[in-house]
Amino acid sequence: MQIFRPGVNTVAKISILAGALVTVLVLNFLFVQDRSPYSRARAGIAVAQPVRFSHQLHSDQLNISCNYCHASANEYAYAGIPDTHTCMSCHSQIAVYSELLEPVRTSYETGDPLVWNKVHDLAEHVYFNHGVHVQNGVGCETCHGRVDQMALVWQAETMTMAWCLECHFAPEDFIRPADEIFTFGYEPPIDQAVLGEQLLEEYEINPEGLGDCWVCHR
Amino acid sequence: MSSQSIPQQAPAPPLPRLGEITETVTNTIFGKAPLWWLIAFGISSALAGAFVLVLGAVALFGTGLWGINVPIVWGMGITNLVFWIGIGHAGTFISAFLLLMRQSWRNAFSRYAEAMTLFALATAGMFPLFHVGRPEWIFYFAPYPNTMILNPQWLSPLVWDAIAISTYGGISAIFWFLDLIPDIAAMRDKAKRPIPRAFYGFLALGWRSDSNHWERLHKTAYILAALATPLVISVHSVVGLDFAIGNLPGWHHSIFPPYFVAGAIFSGLAMTVIVGIVLRSGYEGLKDFITMDHIDKALKLMLITGLLVTYGYMAETFGGWYKADAFELPLIIERAIGPYAPFYLAMLFFNCILIQLLWFKPVRKNIALILVICVGILIGMWLERFVIVSVSLSYTYLAPTWEVFNFTFWDILTIFGPFGFFFAQFLVFIRFLPSLPISETQQHAVEVAHA
Amino acid sequence: MPETNGCIYGYIAEFEDSESLLEAAHRTREAGFRRARGHSPYYVEGLADALGDNTGDLIAWYVLGGILLGGVAFFLLQFITGAVWYPLNIGARPIVAWQAWMIITFEGSVLGGGLAALLGLVLQIQLPLPYHPIFNAPDFHLASSSRFFLSIEARDPLFDEEGTWQFLESLEPTKVSEVTC
Repeated sequence: MQIFRPGVNTVAKISILAGALVTVLVLNFLFVQDRSPYSRARAGIAVAQPVRFSHQLHSDQLNISCNYCHASANEYAYAGIPDTHTCMSCHSQIAVYSELLEPVRTSYETGDPLVWNKVHDLAEHVYFNHGVHVQNGVGCETCHGRVDQMALVWQAETMTMAWCLECHFAPEDFIRPADEIFTFGYEPPIDQAVLGEQLLEEYEINPEGLGDCWVCHR
Repeated sequence: MSSQSIPQQAPAPPLPRLGEITETVTNTIFGKAPLWWLIAFGISSALAGAFVLVLGAVALFGTGLWGINVPIVWGMGITNLVFWIGIGHAGTFISAFLLLMRQSWRNAFSRYAEAMTLFALATAGMFPLFHVGRPEWIFYFAPYPNTMILNPQWLSPLVWDAIAISTYGGISAIFWFLDLIPDIAAMRDKAKRPIPRAFYGFLALGWRSDSNHWERLHKTAYILAALATPLVISVHSVVGLDFAIGNLPGWHHSIFPPYFVAGAIFSGLAMTVIVGIVLRSGYEGLKDFITMDHIDKALKLMLITGLLVTYGYMAETFGGWYKADAFELPLIIERAIGPYAPFYLAMLFFNCILIQLLWFKPVRKNIALILVICVGILIGMWLERFVIVSVSLSYTYLAPTWEVFNFTFWDILTIFGPFGFFFAQFLVFIRFLPSLPISETQQHAVEVAHA
Repeated sequence: MPETNGCIYGYIAEFEDSESLLEAAHRTREAGFRRARGHSPYYVEGLADALGDNTGDLIAWYVLGGILLGGVAFFLLQFITGAVWYPLNIGARPIVAWQAWMIITFEGSVLGGGLAALLGLVLQIQLPLPYHPIFNAPDFHLASSSRFFLSIEARDPLFDEEGTWQFLESLEPTKVSEVTC
């Protein structure tokens, strides 16, 4: 006595293969999704801000140094967001009546700071010191991408632990001379393999132990 | 035990007519659920509900609900984990090791003991899952490709444990299911209504009793048994290493791996015998297949493993004394006469003294006494795990932190709940799948008849 | 010799016990049939051999391959993740601690062997196959509990409708039937 029709044989075979295929595809999707700059960091998608501040205008066209606004980036753990006074140091003279600057002027009058939306939000259990990186030859561009080309800023890199470790395991592949930190579109003047070794000595970086847990997780 | 090539069935039951075995076993499933089953299932489900409640509460409010704190950081979670993995060990031991040894009395137990293995592992798996406190992150135990390049620490016995237990679960499930296929086909062919027929037809994968298929299934079963036998030894050895590698008085003994294996098979056999007695008194027809002779053999094996466990206790105590460690000596004395003395002494009574009754044949024929001894062993083996896990942790190297374990309400639920969880699964199993290996029992019956 | 209505899968003979089936199997083989199968409710030792099947050995090779593959894979997993990708110095234990890796290597080889056994079995016996013409045979539902069958496929080069039927009857079965496809 038959229980199943002949077609069920095909269904059985296909369902086994399909099950295997779906498993592989789902795992593959999770693998890719976990690493994708889009899903990890929304890379390429600008974060809306209360003021339509353009890094492209200020950094690229006007050639204002990063340091002018992010003044504590060099030495302190936190890179720093400029206060309204920093904006007004120019904008009390330039584009004074611009509608785009209305929130800045309001903030200046009332004393309430502008509330910018955070673009790079590291996990709480990471101890990240901005100054240490700048002082040891990590350029702005290395982590933040071509900010000078972004009208509104987005997070350019995934900022996963594996991404951090890429440099922590082999800093010589990424560091640059001290006077090139703020350069965008930097190309190593000589072969990075040679330059990297020289710079390691110059900055007195000992790559051994840079991958230890406690370096970032205190 | 090893001297008998084909074991004599003590009072050889009359050879069942071919097909009668199938009839008897499938009738336990196609018949209406007996009253005792409903009652047992009700009680088990209630206890399982309590267990789910504990786990839910622990997940929501944290592991602090269990009475664990520094220094006793491993409490009911780990004690029960070790206990339930131990219960699972008899199944594979019976179905794999005794298969290789051609001990055909295993047929009485192999199917349901193997199922017990799976359910005990499912129960045991709950404990590490919730003991870590973050069940949703449990996949961190697995070496999956992640964006942190972080992987399990391969030098940690806890990682070995996770991998050993999952391998054990996988191999046991494969072994169990392959053996089940012909019996599910028998169920399919006996089913009278369309839904059961389709259900068993689906599970039987189209088994058509083909001679080639039999040949290969048979071969595969032996190969899997040869793989599973060292595996079963390794799994509880690794559980033993969880402790033996830790540098703590009461844990740091090289005797632990073999002693844990013996203890696991010991407690597993006790559970198997209890379940066997319940099955044969619950289903009249199964009396001919799970005979007193089978139980007798299991009890003898239990006695042997019990003596091995007793040797383990002696070696552990001797080792502690011989080490002359300033912290181990007080531990040995303290656990025998200190606040934990009732636990320790009860453990010795159940695991070492009570089982000596099994030397006597009349005891091995007395169902009531067997049940008392087996339940005693379960209690004793649970106490052993508690003594090893929590009592050892009470006496650490930092004397000012010494503590006595406090049982909370949730701890008590954690002790009894898992039994419900385990038995609920088991009772569902015996309602839907054949609890005896039909084809092997038939084959054996025919062989005996011709011998 | 019944009326054939077009398509037949083969003939099937029914036996009372395993000895008669084994005996019949030997005679079928001697008669030269290649596509004959026994069907028994339990494993009958030598039945497959009697019908000329000895390819079951392949599973052992699958398992050997699985054991080696699983062991090597789990060893490399530990080596690559533990010593190459992220070597962590934990209490000055050696980075390449191959002795300690042996336990997981062992578990991996058992897992590989077990999965290979399953895969080999499935590939060789070609299950699941919920529909098969043999289930059309009368009384075939007893093959899993109390009856023994010997089937000869129509695809067999020696098969002819009259001769094979007579041959099967000469094996003294309780019954010979036709299996439609």
